Amino acid sequence: MNADRKTMKLFPHPFLAFILSLLLTGCFRNPSNEVSGNVDGKLSGKITLTGSSTIAPLITEISRRFEEQHPAVRIDVQTGGSGKGIADTRMGIAEIGMASRSLKADEADLITHQIAADGVGLIVHSSNPIKDLTAEQVISIYTNQIQNWKEVGGKEGDITIVHKAEGRATLEVFLNHFEIDNTTVKPDVIVGENEHAIKTVAGTENAIGYVSIGTAEADIAAGVPIRLLPLGGVEASTATVSSGAFPMSRPLNLITTDSPSSLASEFIRYCQSPEVHDLIRSQYFIPVSSEPNVAQ
Amino acid sequence: MSSTQSVKPTRSGQSTHTIRELTAAFSIWLAAGLVMAILAWILIDISIRGLSQINLSFLIDDVTDAGRSGGIGPIILSTILILFVTLSVSVPLSIATAIALTEQLNSESLLARYVRRCLDILAGVPSIVFGLFGNAFFTITLGLGYSILSGGLTLSCMVLPILIRTAEQAINSVPLEHRHAAAALGMSRSTTLFRVILPAAAPALAAGIVLSIGRALAETAALIFTSGYVARTPESLFDSGRSLSVHIYDLAMNVPNGGARAYAAACVLVAMLLVINETTALLLKFAGLGSTPHAGGCR
Repeated sequence: MNADRKTMKLFPHPFLAFILSLLLTGCFRNPSNEVSGNVDGKLSGKITLTGSSTIAPLITEISRRFEEQHPAVRIDVQTGGSGKGIADTRMGIAEIGMASRSLKADEADLITHQIAADGVGLIVHSSNPIKDLTAEQVISIYTNQIQNWKEVGGKEGDITIVHKAEGRATLEVFLNHFEIDNTTVKPDVIVGENEHAIKTVAGTENAIGYVSIGTAEADIAAGVPIRLLPLGGVEASTATVSSGAFPMSRPLNLITTDSPSSLASEFIRYCQSPEVHDLIRSQYFIPVSSEPNVAQ
Repeated sequence: MSSTQSVKPTRSGQSTHTIRELTAAFSIWLAAGLVMAILAWILIDISIRGLSQINLSFLIDDVTDAGRSGGIGPIILSTILILFVTLSVSVPLSIATAIALTEQLNSESLLARYVRRCLDILAGVPSIVFGLFGNAFFTITLGLGYSILSGGLTLSCMVLPILIRTAEQAINSVPLEHRHAAAALGMSRSTTLFRVILPAAAPALAAGIVLSIGRALAETAALIFTSGYVARTPESLFDSGRSLSVHIYDLAMNVPNGGARAYAAACVLVAMLLVINETTALLLKFAGLGSTPHAGGCR
């Protein structure tokens, strides 16, 4: 019986060895930052980008085209929000971060490279008769001083306030534009992505929210029952954002440390070149020319 | 329980008794019907919106235009690879742990009780916590980066509790007579285990594995920060690969006009689950093991 016990105790070891070997092979490999740079005039290597979930689908498309032109290059795009992009770039986990807002004063150690712009517009359900809201009315609604659409000239109905979660770039653009302190906002619903906010407003007749204008336009074209409200008399559309007339907009930035690798700088140059303007438009964003012409 | 005495109610209690019986029967059928209706609703909703988009090229083509056109070929491949890593790590580990818990340790011993307590706590941990742990440990500390390996290892941590608990029950439900008979024949403990107990427990073990495959396939939160977001065909386990559930999430939440494609991808995911379920049942049938786990026999 004793001998049997011993054989019994031995047999999980092959399993453990298998698992350990799996883990150890991982330890000795350093996957990111392999060779990166210029070999024989040809670009090769691998770069990783993380950050804004708004920019990620766009960069994925740009990197696919870049990889076609430079077959030895691999570009991995990850998401997690602008905040994660900035943190990962600082820590060196990613060569390039993506942030759909300008950098703050305490992030001045990083460099931004704007590739496109995006307007943030207020949306309501398409059945809502409201024509226009003044800045004061928007502030009063979001700070819960106005609770009924009747008070701003609409029909009877409690206003459902759709707000973005902490760390979302659209939230910061919205708060900065209206100079609202986030702690005074009394939201009914807190959402993450733009599509989430649009789905919430489309499903709630008395809701108000704010989302990326490009995304909203695309969804309106697809028949989603929402409507963009003009701001300060300016219509909310990709055209007015592009011309700089629309006041509430945000830059879509790539972010690097002050010494990006040659491959990373080459990729950023490509993202800013007119060659990718069709991709930017197809993702419902607005290309910017080399000199930034959009309000911060 | 088969020899229940049937007492015929003949007196005044009969009508109330019948009403009670009827109500009970009705509510039980209603509950069962409701469960089926929910499943049917989900399946019909997904198929109506998604099936029209699915064809062979959707299943094998590359993702283009952020998922709004093209197919999901690389994503299916990444999903299968993640699942492969998950199972090849978690199945041996969990069956070994289950054997240790049932065969080696006294089930009331301190160690066994602690292991079980840990597993129960682990089973209750939200998947996003596994995602953050996987990101911090596998992706950054071990330097695996955003890769299929990180994702698979994170998922295997996540499915361990289900797998171990089901494997433990599977082994425990093998009738004691099997062990007695093996002992009477003079078989050693390890021979008994590999030749008698594990084969007898195989259907229930497989059921546990299918359950954990379901959980792994459905996972989004734990994968977005570990196996990542890259929709290219992976060349090795060290490449980042987007899983089907992450793709569905991205299409539904991030990509304007991605809704229809999200339903199509959801159709594929559900179909994969059904296929895995059915194949397991079939394989077990061919192996002559039947598909019903041993009933009773538990302590």
